[in-house]
Amino acid sequence: MIRTQELVKVFRTEEVETTALNKVNLEVKEGEFVAIMGPSGCGKSTLLNIIGLLDNPSNGEFYFNGIEVSKFKEKQRTNLRKSNIGFVFQSFNLIDELTVFENVELPLLYLNVPASERKKKVEAVLERMKISHRKKHFPQQLSGGQQQRVAIARAVVANPKLILADEPTGNLDSANGEEVMELLSELNREGTTVVMVTHSPTDAEKAHRIVQLFDGHVVTENVKKNF
Amino acid sequence: MKEICIPISNLGEDEIADVIVTVGGKKMSYSFRVESFPWSVDSESVSTDEDSFHATIDQIIQLRSSIANYDSNWELIQIFTPRPGATHIQVLYRKKNGH
Repeated sequence: MIRTQELVKVFRTEEVETTALNKVNLEVKEGEFVAIMGPSGCGKSTLLNIIGLLDNPSNGEFYFNGIEVSKFKEKQRTNLRKSNIGFVFQSFNLIDELTVFENVELPLLYLNVPASERKKKVEAVLERMKISHRKKHFPQQLSGGQQQRVAIARAVVANPKLILADEPTGNLDSANGEEVMELLSELNREGTTVVMVTHSPTDAEKAHRIVQLFDGHVVTENVKKNF
Repeated sequence: MKEICIPISNLGEDEIADVIVTVGGKKMSYSFRVESFPWSVDSESVSTDEDSFHATIDQIIQLRSSIANYDSNWELIQIFTPRPGATHIQVLYRKKNGH
């Protein structure tokens, strides 16, 4: 599903040039659960942003479902992203002015899904995430664990092939963190590919494979479970 | 899985921290080890930006090799960021059968 070849990302300011990713080769198969670990600043989130088509690499190749997308323009990336990828962030990234229902409905609006179908899909996913009783609430009225469940609902409502999670349990206590990890594992068991950046060795244990990044390089890959 | 956090003093080289936890009468044992791998760079080669870049690549190649050749009974848990100028980089391992 994902293949990067000699992927490089350089951030430049007038004075400093920082190589965030240095010739990264990574392959993720459809249905796989991969954890990316490494110290702060090693390039984990940069890699996730490129895989998620939020950013382009400076050099190298990136294949998404067999298509080379590294030179895609913003509009092409957006089209590919909205129908294929769901995002879960550490800080939830919900829109405070929208209700739970409206937050989860957003990806379907971008995909021009008709209103009646949107309602059905949103209600089904809120039910599944055990948060439907809060559908009229605003994010700030929810606990961190509830907000992350809403964020996961938003990530999966359009039935994406790939979920990208950036420190999904980073702002949660252990009980809520465990629940979020169980949801991601469950989605993976049902066939969704998951790529997760984490600092937590416990969370990484849920993955089939752990990739260790250091200074923008992949230094090792550790297979945890048969895939 | 519930987590507990146990503060322990810094491990010296070749020292192993054994953690034994008993839950519901069942004893579980975990062994951790902090390993130091070489992280030195020939200072003469670090004179320009380009050389500095290559020195980093050399360090990474060296680190990859150290990890690849390490005792396969231990699994890598975390790579610690070395201090500037450090000659060694520390890596946390956990014994596989202790899991």
